[in-house]
Amino acid sequence: MIFKGHIGDVSFAKWLILLIISMFISHLGMTQSNDCNYSVSGMVFDQETKEPLPFVKIKLKNSPKGGYTDSKGKFFIGGLCSEKDSLLVTCDGYCDLLCGGNHEKNEPLPIYLAQEVQDLGPVQVVGEYHKEEGTQSISQVNISQKEIKNAPTKSLADLLSGQEGVSMISAGANVQLPVIHGLHGNRILILNNGLKHGFQNWGSEHAPEIDISSANSITVIKGATGVRFGPEALGGTIIVNPNPLDLNNPLGLEIGTGFQTNGLGMHSTLNLEQGVEKWSYFLNAGFTKIGDRSTPSYIMTNSGKEEKSVNIGVRYHSKKWDFRAYYGYVDQNLALLRSSVAESGNAFVYAVNSDRPTFIRPFSYAINEPNQLTQHQMGKAEVNWHYSDRAKLSFISGIQLNKREEYDVRRDVALPIIDLELLTTDYQLNWHHPKWFKLDGLIGIQVFRQENINNPGTQTTPFIPNYRSMRYSAFITETRKFNNSSLELGARVDYESNSVAGRETSQDIFRDDFEFTNATASIGYIQKISENTVFRTNLGTAWRTPNMAELFSFGQHGFKSSFGLLRYYWNSTNGLRTDKVIPLNESSVSPERGYKFTNELKIIKKKHQHTFTAYSHYIENYIFDRPMAVIGTIRGPMPVFVFDQTNAFFAGADYSWKANWTKSISGVTRLSYLWSWNVTSNETLINQPPASISQKFIWKQKGFCKVKSSELSVEGGYTFTQFQAPRTIAPEELIDGTLELTSESEIFDFKDAPDGYFLLNISWKLDWKHFSTGISATNVLNQSYRDYLNEMRYFSDEIGVNVLFTFNYRFKAKKKSK
Amino acid sequence: MKQFRNYGLIAMTIAGITITSCKKEEVAPPAEENELEVITDVKLVFTNAADPSDVVEANAQDPDGGGAQSLTILNDINLDTSKTYILTYEIANNLDTPGEDIGAEILAEDDEHQFFFSFSNDAFANPTGDGNVDAASDPLGYNDQDDNGFPVGLSTTWVTSGTQLSSGTFNIRLQHQPGIKTATSGANDGDTDFDLTFVLNIQ
Repeated sequence: MIFKGHIGDVSFAKWLILLIISMFISHLGMTQSNDCNYSVSGMVFDQETKEPLPFVKIKLKNSPKGGYTDSKGKFFIGGLCSEKDSLLVTCDGYCDLLCGGNHEKNEPLPIYLAQEVQDLGPVQVVGEYHKEEGTQSISQVNISQKEIKNAPTKSLADLLSGQEGVSMISAGANVQLPVIHGLHGNRILILNNGLKHGFQNWGSEHAPEIDISSANSITVIKGATGVRFGPEALGGTIIVNPNPLDLNNPLGLEIGTGFQTNGLGMHSTLNLEQGVEKWSYFLNAGFTKIGDRSTPSYIMTNSGKEEKSVNIGVRYHSKKWDFRAYYGYVDQNLALLRSSVAESGNAFVYAVNSDRPTFIRPFSYAINEPNQLTQHQMGKAEVNWHYSDRAKLSFISGIQLNKREEYDVRRDVALPIIDLELLTTDYQLNWHHPKWFKLDGLIGIQVFRQENINNPGTQTTPFIPNYRSMRYSAFITETRKFNNSSLELGARVDYESNSVAGRETSQDIFRDDFEFTNATASIGYIQKISENTVFRTNLGTAWRTPNMAELFSFGQHGFKSSFGLLRYYWNSTNGLRTDKVIPLNESSVSPERGYKFTNELKIIKKKHQHTFTAYSHYIENYIFDRPMAVIGTIRGPMPVFVFDQTNAFFAGADYSWKANWTKSISGVTRLSYLWSWNVTSNETLINQPPASISQKFIWKQKGFCKVKSSELSVEGGYTFTQFQAPRTIAPEELIDGTLELTSESEIFDFKDAPDGYFLLNISWKLDWKHFSTGISATNVLNQSYRDYLNEMRYFSDEIGVNVLFTFNYRFKAKKKSK
Repeated sequence: MKQFRNYGLIAMTIAGITITSCKKEEVAPPAEENELEVITDVKLVFTNAADPSDVVEANAQDPDGGGAQSLTILNDINLDTSKTYILTYEIANNLDTPGEDIGAEILAEDDEHQFFFSFSNDAFANPTGDGNVDAASDPLGYNDQDDNGFPVGLSTTWVTSGTQLSSGTFNIRLQHQPGIKTATSGANDGDTDFDLTFVLNIQ
C-alpha cells in the first residue's frame, strides 16, 4: 500500500496556506473481479469540525469517471476498468466555498493515491485552505453555505452573531449590523464579492444591503486588517464570498423555499450553476417577504420586510488567464417599528416609560412609515493572469450604485426624508510575486472613489451633505515561513481627499475640503507548538476618517437632536453653539487610529478542538455619540446629543470548544467577553456587547429507510446583562431640568441595560434523495426579553418564538464522460 | 501576442486609474429645499368675539430651528376677565425667506392634526377644568372639525373666568396623528409638532 499525500504545487500551496481542512479517506477498497468491476469508495471529513464534507469533487486521473461526495461526505465510484489509478480529491464545492475564487488553476489540493489500495485505514491528509494574504495570523471564523441555507430569512448580522466574538447592533428586526469585538458600522469593513460594500454606512440604522442566500460562505476576520483591506477595517473584516464559478462542474439546479411562523414570512431562492472546460456561469435569485413580527405578547406593528435579489456571474478560463464578471442587485423595503417614532421630548418620555409599544395594530404585511427603501447594484470585473507558475497579477474593477430613500412619519409622508445616491468605484491591482528571498507576498495598489448625492425634493435640509472621496492606496504583505512557524509583515499607505458641499437650515451653502495621508502596519506570527497546537499572534493598525454623519449631522433625527463634530462649539461662556460650520482644518478633529493585538491558541485533536482568542484594542480619537444637554425647542424640551472624540480601550476573549462525544453526538461551546473603557474621561462606553455563553448539541443519525441522513440540534444561549452600562438618567429628569448636563458630565443612558436572557433554539434537518428539509425553531420558550444592542429596546420586546420550515430541491447532472 | 497582452493589461489598468483621478472639480451642493418640518415662530391670536379690534397676542420663537439655541416665549398671555375669545394662530418657518406658512399646511392636513390644551385649573368659565392634555374627552371649545368629524383646534373658543389669575400657565400641544387620529386619540398619540407653555394672566 502506497499513499502519497501531496498538495499541489508547493509554492502555490504556500500562498493558499492556513486554516486547516483535513480529509480522512477511509474504507478505501478496490474490489477485483471482471475487467470493469473495480470500485473505489471513501469518505471526506473536515478536520476542524469533524463533519463530513458534502459535494467534494472526486476524480480519477486516468478515467473519465468521477463524482461528488454525498451529503454525508461519502463517495463511491464504480465500474472502473483498471486496478491502478490515481484518485484526485479536489476541494471544489467545499474548499472553494471557503476560499473564494482562489483555485485559478483549477487543480488545487489534489491528493494522489497510488495503486495497490487494499485495506487502507483512515489516512489523514492535511490540506490547507486559503486565508486572505496579510490576515493569516489573525483569528477568524467561517460560516459555510450549509449554515447559511439553514437560516435563509436572517440578515447578515443575525447569521454571524452566533459566532464567538461576533454580535449585532440593530434598530429592530430588519436593520441589523454586525459587531466584532465591540465595534460596528464603519469600523468593520464588509467585503462583498471582493469589493468594499459601498453603502450609507453611518449610525446604527443603516444595514448592509446583502442577501445572504446568495453567499457561498462568509468569513469573519477578528483583527485589525487595515493593511490588507484599507481604512475602516479597524475592528475586523467580513468577507462575503460569491459562487466560486467552478469549471468542469455539471449543471446544478437548486430551488429552496421557506416559511416562518413569526411574521408569516416566506422565502424562495433559485440557484443555477454550470461549468465546462473553459467557461462557467451561475445565476442566483432570491425573494423574501415577512409581515409584522410579534413578541410573546404583542404585534410589533410595522416590522415587515421585503427583499429581492439577483446575482449572476460568468467566468472564462484559459491556461494563463482567468476572467470573471459579476453583477448583483438587491432591492429592500425595510419597516422600522412604528412605536419608535418619538419626535418630541414628551413623546419619548411616554414611549420609554410605557411597558408596551405605544402603537399596536393587527398583523399586516403592509410596510408603512417609518421605512427604508434601498437598491444596491454591483458590477465587477476581475482578470487574473498567471504569468508564471509561482506568481500572478490580478486586476479588479468594480462599480456600485446604492440608492436609499428613508420615509418618516411626518406631514409629508409621501416624500422621503432622506434620498441619497452613492456611487462607488473601485480599482485594485494585486501582484502575488514569485518567491523572493524566501518571502511570499502580495503587493497591491488601489484607487477608491465615492460620490454621494442628495436627490432634491425631500422638503427638508439634507442630513448628510453631498461629498466626493478619493483614495489612493498601496500596500505590501509578506510572509516568511520557517520550519514550524511563519512571520507575516505588512505595511500600507493611504492618501484620501474629501470634498464636501452641504446646506445649512437657512439653505446657505457650506463647503469643506480636507485630506489625510496615513501609514499603517501590521506584524503577525504563527507558531506550531505541537502536532495539534497552533498559536497565532497579530498586532495591526488601522485608521479611518470620521464619516459624514459624525462630522456634519445637524438637528433632529428620531427622538434626539444630534450635532456632528464640525457643527457645534463651546462659546466663551461655555454655552453650546451651533450657528456655524467649522472647517475641518480649524477644528481639533483627527482621524481614528486603532492598534489591535489579537492572539489565538488553537488545539485540534481528533475528538476535541479548542480555540481561545484574547485581544486588546486601543483606539485613539474614538468617535462616539453622547448626550450633552437638553434644549427647549418648539416641540418641547429635547435631549441633545453631540459626537465627541476620546481614547478608548477594549480587551476581551472568545473561546470555542467543539467536541465529538460519540460518532453521532457532538457539541459546541462558545463564550465571549468584552471589557471596554473610555480612557480619557475614565468612564464606561455605551452600547458595548455584553458577555454571552452558548452550548449546542448535535445528534446526527445515519441513513434509515430511504432517508440519507438527519440531524437534530439543540442550542441554549445565555446573554448576560451589560454590567458595564453607563448610569441611567430618565429622560423626564433631563426635560424638567432636575439635571443639568455640561461638557464634563458623566455618560448616561435613558434606560437600564436589560436583564440577561436565555434563549433555546431547536432545529432538525433531513436529507432524502434530492430533497432536504428542515424545521428550525428559535426562542422556543417564547421568552420576553430586550436586547441591549437593539435601539428598539427603549420601546419594544424582542421577537418571540419563530418556527422556520425550509424545503430544498437539489439537482445535479451526472458528469459527462469524455 | 503574449507581449501585447501584457502591455494591454497594464495599459488598461493605468487608463482605468487615470480616468477616475484626473478631475478635481468642486462638488455640487444639494438643491435648496423648502423646509416644511421646521417651525420657528408661533403666534397665538386671541380675538374678542364681541369686538374684533380687541386682540391679544403672544409669541414663541426658536430662531435657529433645529440648532442648539433654545426656544424663547416672548410674551405672557394677558386676557381680561369674563370675556369670550376666539383663539387662532400664525405658525411659520422664518428660516427661509420669504417665510413658510405652516398653518396653511396644517389646515390642508387637518384630519392628521389636533391641538390639545392644558391650563391652570378653572382659569376659564368655559371650558372648565384644566384642559384635555390629560384626558382627551375633557371639555374644550373646538370650533372646527376635519372631514371625519373630529375636532382640529385651529380655532377654539375661550370664556375667561370672572376671578382674576396671575402667573398661571397655558400649554398648547399640536399633535400630528397621521392614520391614528380617532374620536378617542389624545395628546400622547402621534408626534408633537409643537408644545409651548405660556404664562397666563387674567385681570
